[in-house]
Amino acid sequence: MTRVLSPVAGRAIGLAGVPDPVFAQAMVGPGTAVDPVRAAGRAIAPVTGRIVKLHPHAYVVVDDEDHGVLVHLGIETVKLKGRGFALLAAEGDEVNAGEPVVAWDPVAVEAAGRSPICAVVALDADGGALTRVRADGPVHQGTELFTWV
Amino acid sequence: MRGHGGIRRAEAIVAALGGAANIVDIEPCTTRLRSEVRDAARVDEPALRAAGAIAVLRSGPVVQVVVGPQADSIACDIEDVLG
Repeated sequence: MTRVLSPVAGRAIGLAGVPDPVFAQAMVGPGTAVDPVRAAGRAIAPVTGRIVKLHPHAYVVVDDEDHGVLVHLGIETVKLKGRGFALLAAEGDEVNAGEPVVAWDPVAVEAAGRSPICAVVALDADGGALTRVRADGPVHQGTELFTWV
Repeated sequence: MRGHGGIRRAEAIVAALGGAANIVDIEPCTTRLRSEVRDAARVDEPALRAAGAIAVLRSGPVVQVVVGPQADSIACDIEDVLG
């Protein structure tokens, strides 16, 4: 069982609230999304495991149950080519849940014309594999977003 | 994931996008391939799905091929195929 923590502080809105059909329709997996507090901050690892993918705007951490969790910082943020993002870890690193992975600024993302909404996705999970999914209300960084059985 | 199977899949995706000459740009974004093509009419969606696409999103010349977390390794294979 994997407890998945919120990478950022903000308001949970559910995947359906993400302005991108791939996430909103859970094409790459179920999960939720967080509309982040508009302040520069450091997004954390949602689970303890290995960073198997690390882009400035997105990362995947796989835990010891082989559960891969994608954190996507903002929508269409690949177009920002890393501007406004700074890596605080490296691909291949082992991280503990809660450790910072990427420094970023939702205000700058929004100023660049992109949504800063963060999708948190249980990659390739069945819809029924997630329980206690938080899809509304305020969340702190590190608040549990869902449990992946 | 790379290897002959990966290259075959990359070749199938390139062909389904209308061939190398039809592809202006292709880049991975974690779970999808974002491609820009010259002639969107030459994109073969059923063939993309047969090559493993979960979904295909089209907006004019921009074709997003949703492939899941293997997007980066598939993009590497496609680069090899495109030379």
